[in-house]
Amino acid sequence: MLKIWKFQISLFGILFAAILIEVGIIPLVWAPVRIDFLIGMIIGQIIFVPFSQGFPFIILSSIILQAFSGARIGLIPLIYIAVFVIIDVLKNVIYLENIFTQALLGIFFYSLITSVTATVAGSRFLEDAVVPMVAGMGLTALLTPVMVSIVGRLQAAYDVYGS
Amino acid sequence: MVRSNTRIFLLTCAAALILVLLSTGRHYPSTLGISYIREGYYIFDKVITSPFSFVAEIWDTYIGLVNTSRENKELKKQVETLRVRSMTLEELKSENRRYRAMLEFKNQRQDLSLIPANLLSHDITLIFKTAVIDKGFNSGFRMDMAILSPDGVVGKVVSVSPRTAQILLITDPNSAIPSVIESSRVKGVIKGRGGNLLSLEYVRSTEDVKVGDCVVTSGLLGFFPSGLKIGYVQEVKKDANKIFADIVVKPYVEMDKIEGIFGIAQNMEVSD
Repeated sequence: MLKIWKFQISLFGILFAAILIEVGIIPLVWAPVRIDFLIGMIIGQIIFVPFSQGFPFIILSSIILQAFSGARIGLIPLIYIAVFVIIDVLKNVIYLENIFTQALLGIFFYSLITSVTATVAGSRFLEDAVVPMVAGMGLTALLTPVMVSIVGRLQAAYDVYGS
Repeated sequence: MVRSNTRIFLLTCAAALILVLLSTGRHYPSTLGISYIREGYYIFDKVITSPFSFVAEIWDTYIGLVNTSRENKELKKQVETLRVRSMTLEELKSENRRYRAMLEFKNQRQDLSLIPANLLSHDITLIFKTAVIDKGFNSGFRMDMAILSPDGVVGKVVSVSPRTAQILLITDPNSAIPSVIESSRVKGVIKGRGGNLLSLEYVRSTEDVKVGDCVVTSGLLGFFPSGLKIGYVQEVKKDANKIFADIVVKPYVEMDKIEGIFGIAQNMEVSD
């Protein structure tokens, strides 16, 4: 039980580090670019963590993310829970452990989340933010397998869930 | 004995005379073999000192390189340190420039009660345009407080905690500010388009709006005092079949580059 707590606390530590990079460091380098670190963590949770513990983690993570966004309360958790459920269903159809699949899922969900939030908010961001969006998509594709691997390594390190 | 003394005396005088003549006359190359003595001394010196010089040279050029390498590393470290210090100084210089601009703006707008703050982070999503600042309730920031920068209007406070506040930038699609075109006094509402541009909405197609017109706050809602610069008209599209013109406004403030901002205290006095 203690191992599970340690594992979950480490995951939240990584989440906070990712948020710090996303809202503080990346905007310093190139202000309009946003990278989605959570997609990789969601895939990692689905592969390595039982649903009963992965799902609460995603709910809590998305609530934390909500604090750093101007989106209406509930929109961010709703989107990420939907992503979690969709990928959980997809795990029976596609091989999630493949890094190319993970990268493609990163691109797909990044564009899906951006489109949904843009539609909900009535944003016309594509007028002058196509390049940052494409860059963000590419970087998310690169980082999704990395985040999956981090979750996997943590799970192996703490030796939880009978791996 | 007397003759002998006289001879010695005369020889000494002759030798002295020769020496006087040699030392006071023009300098001729030595013809008395003195140069060969020097040559001999040179060869002797070389033979004796060469092994020592050879050892000294090896010591200096090879073994001494160990020290040179160490010295090189030290110097490299020093260069790095100086480079970092130079960067820090540049950053301090730019920070100083920013604070000076903020101070000048504060002095210019003494009619407003301004609270300075710095930007902490940007919005986590690509679509929404909010930012978090390093001052909150404890510093006097309140909900709906107008946020300015020396260049113009930035947004308003939408969430406040004791030490931080979240501001909704004017470029966010949810932002709407009653505004007016400075020259023609045509009224409208400035709304965010989600990117880096704004829309001036609810302006009739019949109104006289030109590219380059300055858009300022109208002061209607009360959060923003009137006359604060928002942006300038970048594009005007008029359609005979539409009641309202499609006006694109470019904000004066570059939202991606804001660092220092001001909150206008709630007990503000309206400028005009």
